[in-house]
Order: sequence, then C-alpha cells, then structure tokens
Amino acid sequence: MKLSRRALLTSLAATGAGATAPGVFAPAVAQAKPCRVGILAPRSGIAASAGESGLRATQWAVEKFNAGGGIAGRRIELVIEEETNPKDTIERFQRLVQQEKVDCVQGIVSTGVGLALGPVAEEARALTIYWDGTTQDGVDEKLPNPKYLFRSTDNECEAVMSSLLAIKHWRGQFKTIAGINPDYSYGRNNMAAFVALLKRFNIEHEVITEQWPKVGTMELTSHVAALKAAKPDLIFSSLLFADLPVFMKQAHAAELTKGTKLVFPAAGWQHTLMKKDFTPEGMIFGHNTLYFDNPKATPLQKEFVTWYADRFKDYPNWEADRAYFAIASYKEAVEKAANSKGTAWPTIDDVIGALEGSSVESLGGKGSWRKDHIADQTFVQGFSTHANKYDFVTLDPARIETMYSTELQKPAGANFWDWLKAAKFQI
Amino acid sequence: MPAAISAIANIVIGGIFHAAVLFLVAAGLQLVFGVQKIVNLACGSFYALGAYFGITLVNYGLSAGLPDWMLLPLLLIAGLLMALIGPPIERLLRTVYDRDESFQLLLTFALVLMFQDVFRLVWGANPRSLDNVHLVYGKWTVGDFSVPLYNLLVISAALLAAILIGLFLRRTNFGRLLRATAENRAMAEALGVNVRTVYAAVFTLGTLLGTLGGALVVPTSAASLDMAVEFVIEAFAVVVIGGLGSMPGALAGAGLVGLIRALALVVYPEFEILAIYLIVIGVLLLRPSGLFGRPAT
Repeated sequence: MKLSRRALLTSLAATGAGATAPGVFAPAVAQAKPCRVGILAPRSGIAASAGESGLRATQWAVEKFNAGGGIAGRRIELVIEEETNPKDTIERFQRLVQQEKVDCVQGIVSTGVGLALGPVAEEARALTIYWDGTTQDGVDEKLPNPKYLFRSTDNECEAVMSSLLAIKHWRGQFKTIAGINPDYSYGRNNMAAFVALLKRFNIEHEVITEQWPKVGTMELTSHVAALKAAKPDLIFSSLLFADLPVFMKQAHAAELTKGTKLVFPAAGWQHTLMKKDFTPEGMIFGHNTLYFDNPKATPLQKEFVTWYADRFKDYPNWEADRAYFAIASYKEAVEKAANSKGTAWPTIDDVIGALEGSSVESLGGKGSWRKDHIADQTFVQGFSTHANKYDFVTLDPARIETMYSTELQKPAGANFWDWLKAAKFQI
Repeated sequence: MPAAISAIANIVIGGIFHAAVLFLVAAGLQLVFGVQKIVNLACGSFYALGAYFGITLVNYGLSAGLPDWMLLPLLLIAGLLMALIGPPIERLLRTVYDRDESFQLLLTFALVLMFQDVFRLVWGANPRSLDNVHLVYGKWTVGDFSVPLYNLLVISAALLAAILIGLFLRRTNFGRLLRATAENRAMAEALGVNVRTVYAAVFTLGTLLGTLGGALVVPTSAASLDMAVEFVIEAFAVVVIGGLGSMPGALAGAGLVGLIRALALVVYPEFEILAIYLIVIGVLLLRPSGLFGRPAT
C-alpha cells in the first residue's frame, strides 16, 4: 500500500491527539486558551501542612483533569499565591483577579482571612470557592446571600459530630469535663457546642476547667498541669495546629491521658504526627472530610491516597478533600453549564447557577453545594487504634462513623445555638 | 503523696520548666544588651535554630545506632555547634554599634525574617518534632505527681547555666573585662581591653544560651517557623521584670513569669497572659529599672 503524504500527516495527528489527550474535549485543548485557576493557600506557619495537602490535591486533580481534556476542552493552568494575613491575602486575591485574569479563585484555610476576603470577592464579582474558613463572625453569618462566593461547611460540624459520638458511646461514664481549645472563635465555639449538646441531651456534667492557649503555643506543660490538677473524667479539645501533637506528648508524659476520656474532633489535621508512643487508643478522633485509611474508601480516594503516599511518603489530611471538592465541583459546573447553554465556555452567572445544588464525588465521599453557597460534605470520625502498620494512630475499622453535614450544620439562615436546641440528631 | 500536694507539685514543676527555658533565652538577651547595648530581637531565632538542628542531630545520631540515652548529649552538642553562628552575626552587627538604636532593632529584626526563610528552606514549612524519646530517662512518679526526668534535667541545666554565668562574670578575668566593658566601653578600650574580642565572645555566649534553650526544649515540644517570635515576646517580659542587662534579673524574672503563668492557668486561665503583663506594668510603674536593674543616671 502506498502511503500518501496527506494520509501520513492525518494519521500522525490522530495518533498524537489520542495519545496525549484521550478525553472528549481533546482536540480543542491545544487550541483553546487555558482555564486559569488562582489558588490562595497557606505555605508557611501553623497552617502550612494543611495548605500543602490542599495544594497537592489540587495539582493531582489538575493533572488528572488535563489528561482527560481539561475543563470543557480548556487546559487548566494554576496560578498559586500564598495565603497569609487578611490584608496581604486580599492584595494577592486582587492581583489574581485583575492581573492574572483567573477564571476562578480557590483556597483559603483561615477563618480570619475568609471573613475579610468574602466581601472583596463579592465586590470584585470573582467566582471564589473556599476550601475551609468561613465568612462567619463566631457562628453568625456575615455574608448571608453571596453571589460569587462559595464556602465550606461550618467550622462547628466536627465538634457537633464528636459531641454526638461522646454522648452515644460514653453517656453515664463521665461527669466532670475539661477543655483545652485554641483561643479564637473556632476553639471557643467548638467547646460551647459540646457543652450545649450535653445540656440538650440532659447529660449531667460539670465543666471544671477550660484552658485557652493561643494558637501555636508549643510549651504546654503548665496547661497540662492545670488540667491534671482538675482531674476531669473527659477532656474536649479542638486543638488542630502543630500544638496538638505537642500537647498530646506533654499530656502523655504527665500521665494525663491515662484513664481520661478524650474527645478531639479536629485531630485528623495532624494525623501523621499523632504518634502511637504518646497518643492513646480509644479517643474520639475526628478526620473531618477525609480519612486516608478508610476501609470504605471509594476507588477515587484509593487512587489519590496511593499517589500521595508514593510521591510524598506521607498521607493526606482533610484539606486535600476540600481542595479536590472545590476544583472538581467547578469543573463539573462549567461543563454542565457549557452543555446546557450549548456554548464553548459559559458565563460566570451560568457557572454559578450550575454550582448551586450540584453534587460531586469528592475524595472523602459525596459533596454538594447548597443554594446559599455553603458546602455539604461527608464527615468521618471514630475511635483511635494502634492496630495498624503506621507509627501513628488511625481509626478502629469496626468503630468508624460517617455522617453527612446536613445532620451536622445549621440550615440556611438559622441561628446556630437555636438550631442546636431544636435539631433532630441521629444518635 | 496527698492529692492536693501532688497537684501543687505538678503545677510548680510545670511552671519552673517553662521558666528554665525562658531563662536561657532571656539570659542571652540580657548578656548581649548588658555589654553591647544591643536589643537583639534575633535571640528568638537562635532559640529556633537550636531546636531545628537539635532534631536533625538527634535523628541522625539515633538512626546511626547511638543509644537513646545519648539524647541529652546530642542536644548539648547541637546547641554548642549552632552557637558558632554567633561570631559572623556579631561581625554583621558591628556596622550598627555606633548608630541609632532603631538601626540595631531593624537589623536584628531583619535577621529574624532571614532566619525564618532559612528554616523554611532547610527544614520546610511544617513543624518538626521528635517522638517520645525524651521519656528514655524515665519518669518520677509519686501518687498523682508525675514528671519526666528529662524535664528535671532541663531545669538543672538552666540552673547550672545560671551558676556558671555568674561565676564566669564574677570570678574570671575575662568576666571582669566583660563587666568593665559593660560599665564603660571607652575607658576599657583606653586601658587596653580588646573590645572587639569581648563583643564577639559575649555575643557568642548569648547565642549559645539561645541555641541551648531551643535544643533542650524541643524533645518535649516542636520546632516551628513561628517559635522565634513566640518566645522572644515572653523573654522581653522577663527582661522588663528582671531589669534590662541584669543576669540575676533574668533568673528572677523567668521564675516569676513561669510560676505566675502556671498559677493563672489553674486559678483563672483567662488571665494567663494578663497576669504576666499586669506584673510588667506594675514593675514599670513602681520600679522602672526592673527588680534587679540599676536606675538610669
């Protein structure tokens, strides 16, 4: 058979396209301008590990999506900036929107930054999806009906879930309780939510001491001594930064953890640092929206965790799930809007419309967007165990609990404390 | 041991442990200010440097097959080695000795930021820690009272450092030269004291106290990018209470801050910070030169 020049070029082009971009949008990838996604994530300081986990998940998702044709035929390009204090982060956000001309901004871990950035994102009319952090002052929503901003689940979801687990499993086994929580709205609201739920379920209790170390305090021996002096039956702690493993180490050395029930709703943020040497079995341990070793993990989670472990010799925390959820739901919304409008690239209003009420499979399970732009996600908690191949604690496979956040967070427009008093909880 | 006594003992030991580490950092700050008249904001960075390098050396040593009990010697070596950063930094500070104090503050603050980036580059942004290796020396447990012997060793090391510094300053010729230079630099120079050597030695000693403090505390704690700033603020409270430039002041100030903080956490935890700064304000109002400082003339 004689092969003409034209036939040779045609077959080479087809082979190349098939090999590099197997997705339905593949032929357009090389020609269309890229979809630019701005990322704002902490890369240093106490939240650095969370930012790192989120960034890695975003990069994994982008590689995966680009290999499948990008978003609606456009290759995804990331423009990564650091999340630091509110003022500097807002300036970087404006640079992403005005100079980098990104199609969407994602990221944000700090509540303080999220609160300050929310109105700026609305003013800039820039589609913005938070990984974490809120636009709440305490538990009061400061931006009730945003148009361009999509926000994570309420910060208190994990505390509500841990409280319900403590009530379910330990009712009648504790009376005196103590708290050690970070000294800002997150820590204070979580502790208050725990106490409110104890009252709601008529659990007889007495708060005998509450410790409020400032975030990032690394020398906690005096806090441990104060807790030990109080001799609580149960300690509730939403410590979640690098101070958490330090506290656990110092508490173990002082024998504070021996015989005391421990409720730690946010311990999963530091899970690989919670070594067996000093972290006891049987504590209520929250992994939020991603438990890397979940025996019921989906193929998507297994693929991601395997990639993460192979590449970084580490295991992801929940910020990876939040980041994946942000970019996966954005991709789905853009493509859904493009298909329904029959256009190559939808308008921002079309994307917002498609995001509202949408649902995707995220790394840790199902995730969806409410009409008021608040996320609903799948939460995983359980009891710590040493029976695993790691040097840190994981969850006892027989005692893992999963809840969807519709059971854990206030509905749109509701007051958190009133909702806690009236909600129907499944225990 | 009765429960109440056990509780008090736990609280007091917790406070003294905090004070011991605080003393090492504050003593470095005091020494440098006392002789060189420089408020060295970078003393917190030396503390962080000791902590980071302590982790590296301990991990290296233990993975190379050294027994766990070598923890303390390895940490002391880490502190000593990192003190070698002192002379080159002192050389840099010479450029601002005769300039306005604001230049000195700016330069030492710049050092804090530069060190933070170096830590990020070398050790990464995530906090680093050692596992429970500090329990290798065992625990002292009586009833409800329980303290790791390592914590007592750190307290002893800080006390030993205080005694050695005191002896060095008062009983040795070089110590007398330091005090003479601190009293009147021009006169000391006129009498043939090599002030450059004195300054380099003092700064290195100050650095050593910081790096030792960081190295010794890290097994019970963690090294993080923010630790340099976290501790230096408290160290300044110690300095104000004890008196700027006074070594006994550093010891008394650190002890007071450590114990007041520990007590506040038991009695009224919301007062943890306030209690310390109420004392700072009280000292500034009633005795502005600090408990052991000399009034300005």
